[in-house]
Amino acid sequence: MHSEKRLAMEDTWKTADLEKHIRGGVYDEDNMRRKERRKRDDDRKKVRSGDSVERRHRDREREGHRERDRHRERDSTRERAKLRDPDKDRDHDRQRESTRDRTAEREERDRERRRERERDRVVEGSRTGDRDHESRDKRHERAERDRQHKREETDSRDREREKRRAERDRERGTERDRRREEGRDRERDRERTRERERDRERDRDIEHDQERRREKERHRDREQGHSTKHLNETGRYSDGLQEKYLELKKENERRERHSERDHSRRGEEKEYREQRRKEKEERERRQREREAHHSRESRRQEEKPRDEDRERRHREHRENERHPSSNRDGRDRRSHDRSREWRPRAEGDGENGSVEATTEKRSHSGKEKDRDKDRDRETREHKDTKAEKEEIEMEKPSAEDPGDEEGAEYYEEDFEDYEDDFEEADESGGEEDDEGDGSEEEKKKEEELSPQNREEIEEIRRAMNAENERAGSSQLWHVVEESKVSKADSDVPQRKSTQHGKFIDFVAAKHREVSKKVASKQKKRSTELLRLVDLDFSVSFSLLDLPPVNEYDMYIKSFGTTNTKQAYVQCNEDNTDRDTQTEEIEVDEKWTQHPGDSGTVCGGPKLMNKASDESSAKMNIDSKRLAEFLLSASQVVAVLLEEDRAEKHSLKKLKSQADALSCSDGCLQLNTKLPFLHGREVSLLSFSQAQRQTLLSVHSPSAKPSAVRLDSKTIICIWSIWEPSCPQKVLVYESEVHCCCFSPGKATLVFAGTAVGSVVVWDLREHSSLHQTLKIGDHDWTLRYPTFSTDAVLSASGHLSSVRSVEPVPAVVAEGLRPEVSLLPTNEESSGLSFQLASLDESGVLNLWVVVELPKGDQAGSQTDLGLKPGGKVKLLHSSTIMTNERSTLRDAVKTGPLRTLLLKFLPSDSNHFFIGTDMGLVNHGTRHGLKVPPKFYRPLEAGLRPVNVTSIDVSLFGEPMFLVGCADGSIRMHSVRSEEPVMDWAGSTDGEPVVSVHWSLTRPAVFCVLDAASNLHIWDLLEKDYEPAATEKIQSDRVTAMVVFGDPAKSNTFSGVSLAKQSGKIEIQYFSKKWAVPSPSELDMLQNLLHEAF
Amino acid sequence: MEEPDTMENTYIIRPNYQHKFKVGVAKECIREVLKEELTGKQYNSQQISTLSRSVADCIKDKLKELGFDRYKLVVQVVIGEQRGEGVKMAARCFWDADTDNYAQDVFMNDSLFCVAAAFGCFYY
Repeated sequence: MHSEKRLAMEDTWKTADLEKHIRGGVYDEDNMRRKERRKRDDDRKKVRSGDSVERRHRDREREGHRERDRHRERDSTRERAKLRDPDKDRDHDRQRESTRDRTAEREERDRERRRERERDRVVEGSRTGDRDHESRDKRHERAERDRQHKREETDSRDREREKRRAERDRERGTERDRRREEGRDRERDRERTRERERDRERDRDIEHDQERRREKERHRDREQGHSTKHLNETGRYSDGLQEKYLELKKENERRERHSERDHSRRGEEKEYREQRRKEKEERERRQREREAHHSRESRRQEEKPRDEDRERRHREHRENERHPSSNRDGRDRRSHDRSREWRPRAEGDGENGSVEATTEKRSHSGKEKDRDKDRDRETREHKDTKAEKEEIEMEKPSAEDPGDEEGAEYYEEDFEDYEDDFEEADESGGEEDDEGDGSEEEKKKEEELSPQNREEIEEIRRAMNAENERAGSSQLWHVVEESKVSKADSDVPQRKSTQHGKFIDFVAAKHREVSKKVASKQKKRSTELLRLVDLDFSVSFSLLDLPPVNEYDMYIKSFGTTNTKQAYVQCNEDNTDRDTQTEEIEVDEKWTQHPGDSGTVCGGPKLMNKASDESSAKMNIDSKRLAEFLLSASQVVAVLLEEDRAEKHSLKKLKSQADALSCSDGCLQLNTKLPFLHGREVSLLSFSQAQRQTLLSVHSPSAKPSAVRLDSKTIICIWSIWEPSCPQKVLVYESEVHCCCFSPGKATLVFAGTAVGSVVVWDLREHSSLHQTLKIGDHDWTLRYPTFSTDAVLSASGHLSSVRSVEPVPAVVAEGLRPEVSLLPTNEESSGLSFQLASLDESGVLNLWVVVELPKGDQAGSQTDLGLKPGGKVKLLHSSTIMTNERSTLRDAVKTGPLRTLLLKFLPSDSNHFFIGTDMGLVNHGTRHGLKVPPKFYRPLEAGLRPVNVTSIDVSLFGEPMFLVGCADGSIRMHSVRSEEPVMDWAGSTDGEPVVSVHWSLTRPAVFCVLDAASNLHIWDLLEKDYEPAATEKIQSDRVTAMVVFGDPAKSNTFSGVSLAKQSGKIEIQYFSKKWAVPSPSELDMLQNLLHEAF
Repeated sequence: MEEPDTMENTYIIRPNYQHKFKVGVAKECIREVLKEELTGKQYNSQQISTLSRSVADCIKDKLKELGFDRYKLVVQVVIGEQRGEGVKMAARCFWDADTDNYAQDVFMNDSLFCVAAAFGCFYY
């Protein structure tokens, strides 16, 4: 490669030139263009000067061309194999293919042409067979000359070049950099302010050029020694060359302008050319301007050593033009020429065009085949057959063609470093030329054979258009490619950049540099940025998800609503009825019951439970009060009715009854023939002090078993003497009852002292539901158990022996003994139910109890008062205990020992005093509050104590406080409260029979009744006889076990009598006759007197 | 002459908040455009290509007016005929999720559906 190159370089180049080329790429362009122009000018001149001259010139030139061609071809083939970019190859191939496709004709022509070229080369190589013998000689001469010259130079230049190359190699990097920078600068400047910077650029370029020229000069001087004979020529030539180059540039510009005009006028599309031109245009113009600007001033003196070929050609050229010129004149003239040359061409559009075209054609037809290329190029431009255009177009290809060839030369010789660029440019240029050749040839043919192949031509034209377009695009593509690859090593892009055109490589290099810079910048930027930025794959965004519509929906959507109609219906709104309705009157039958004991106080056929429940609840509240009211009221009514009846009845009975007592006015029997009373002996009778008609009878347990299971129990019956048919209440107690009494007020409470030492209380007001109901016979009997019993009271406060007597303690009564006065408080007291009870047991323990009525009964039973019956309201609280025996024995204990206390009586006028009957015939006198009141005890008249039980004590309610004492020995004593001794003592009035009971009459103060154990009833009337009973009744039929006097002091008329309980259980009530019942007016006074008399 | 290369570059890695690509705003914009351009339109295979192009351009222009600074916008418009077939469209991007985003909206009428997606890529 090097050897060949060296050979080639020896032909044309000098070292100075090399340097210049290295310094600035402009030079290459200049050279190339210069060559182009020169050649074109030559051609033109030849054309003008005539065939022979032209031919000669051409031949000669062709000779040079051939030589160059040979080199180029060789190099280019070599280079092609080596260096061609694959892309370019592809492009190239494509272009080739397209050209091939166009027509076989063209290919053939190409082949032909190539063959010819080959042939030429062969001829050249062998220096034998050239077709043109005529010109061969000349060519040979010239070649010889060239070779001589080359050889001369070679030695020195080789040496020089060796040195220089080393230098260059060293410098290349810096040089390149410098160039790159320049290019960059220029690029940047252009970007900023094109106009202003361009001037500066130009200056810079000028400097470069000047420098280059100076170098050239230097070089030339140096070279002068070697090639003195060429001095003038070269100097002249170089000057001319430059001028020519300028000229050519201007021409080119004008031509281009012209062609553009043509194009627009004709509507011809030559895109690929246009594009290429546009790319170049600017650069070229700029350079041209620059060149034109300073070449006049600075290049005048410059003479450059040129390759002989060029020099020669120029010389010839000048000769042809007949402008032998000195350097300066030549330049001026040349510029003049240029204008001259151009003028006819411009005019040729209108006038000379046809002539020129014809000559052109002629010359073409006459040309040899190895010149086809040029011709083709020329004709290719003329796609229309217009001749005027041909001339103009002719220059364009010529501008390229020789440029190609010479560029190749330059490349080989000078630009070893830029081989790639130039070669590629050349190649591409050549290839394009090749392509163009085909088309041009076609064109030519078309022009010649137009009549025959119109259609073909049309086709071809179309194909060409397509080709042009493609070429244009490929050009563009190259640009893109370049920018792409620009980052790669510097060689490749350099090579590629030249593809833009032969003349741009310098600018392209700048471009490249710039783009490279930009790319590196971007790369840097991207690397820096990528450090900062994280790129990641986003989640797939679902932009649209349209599910397929199923067939049915589709059908419904498209046809579903086709046959439907909207139907309207109207109702006659005015046809409305209006009615009013009244609610039915509800009728309901109801009944009510009074009192609502069972809870259902109302009801009806449609018994509504809820209503009845509600009403019953209401009625219950009322019914309680009502029941209470009714209870008392019914009792009252019942009593009234029974009284009324009994009075009548008793009257009848009195008369009818045979067993009526003589003293009595009449008698009645209480109905004791009850099954549970059967066989029981009445041990005790007692009347209530407040309710004089109320009687209780104590039926001691019977020995014989009876139908009723109450044998072991004591039964107490409460009677109203007005209502003798049945007992009002039946009280039951488990053990034997020794004593019994009513509460002092109303007969609502019954107290009893039992043989087991307990005191029990019955509350007669308790509802029957609290007590056990026993059906005996036809009747239901409510058997009442005690409400309260002292059995549960602690033994310390209870009785340890059987209770002998129970007495209510009368409330505080006024001092007077008037019954009216005394009775009232008791009544009042009874209502209050606050009184005390005294119980005396055999051992002389007198317990005082407070009777307490609870406001409300507790059905569940009391936790504290264990003796209280569940639901009971009355209880006894132990108040105090009085030991009567100790006191009494203080004096008499020595003789008699402890006294058995048997009876207890309170002084009605003063409840503080009480009298206790003992088993020694004595009656103790005691007080509740410890005051010693004489006498301590009352004793019989006869001195000395004997064991006689005091069986009965009864305190008179009238006048002087006196009491009667009945003793078991049958003696009856009458004591005054104040004296120990008895007022009267009747020892044998009963004939020795023990006195069972002694009772004062309640209506007559001076009358008292005595019952002895022999069932004799003695009635005493002290006013009548004070030594014996006034009357004695002997009851033989049935032994009288108990007797009690009843009567109401206020109601003294008929209501007075004696009640007798018989052994059989009968209870008789004897009404006293008037004699015994009605007191005389002064009876109390008389009694007082009597008693005073007795003392 | 030359800018000093040694100077450290300061890059704008994140857009200003007011210039950030706001999906809601962009979507509204797209919706408006689609509504304006496509309401009452029938699918016509000849005209739809130009229509889609014009819609895309319109969207792009409108989006540019919204002032997404330093954003490169890619607008894709797909218009298809509604014939009951199922359609699925998805997009996947390799980008910086902090700055870049996309907005899309779908317009549908009886004869066509249109999916317009605008991708905004921040230019650092």
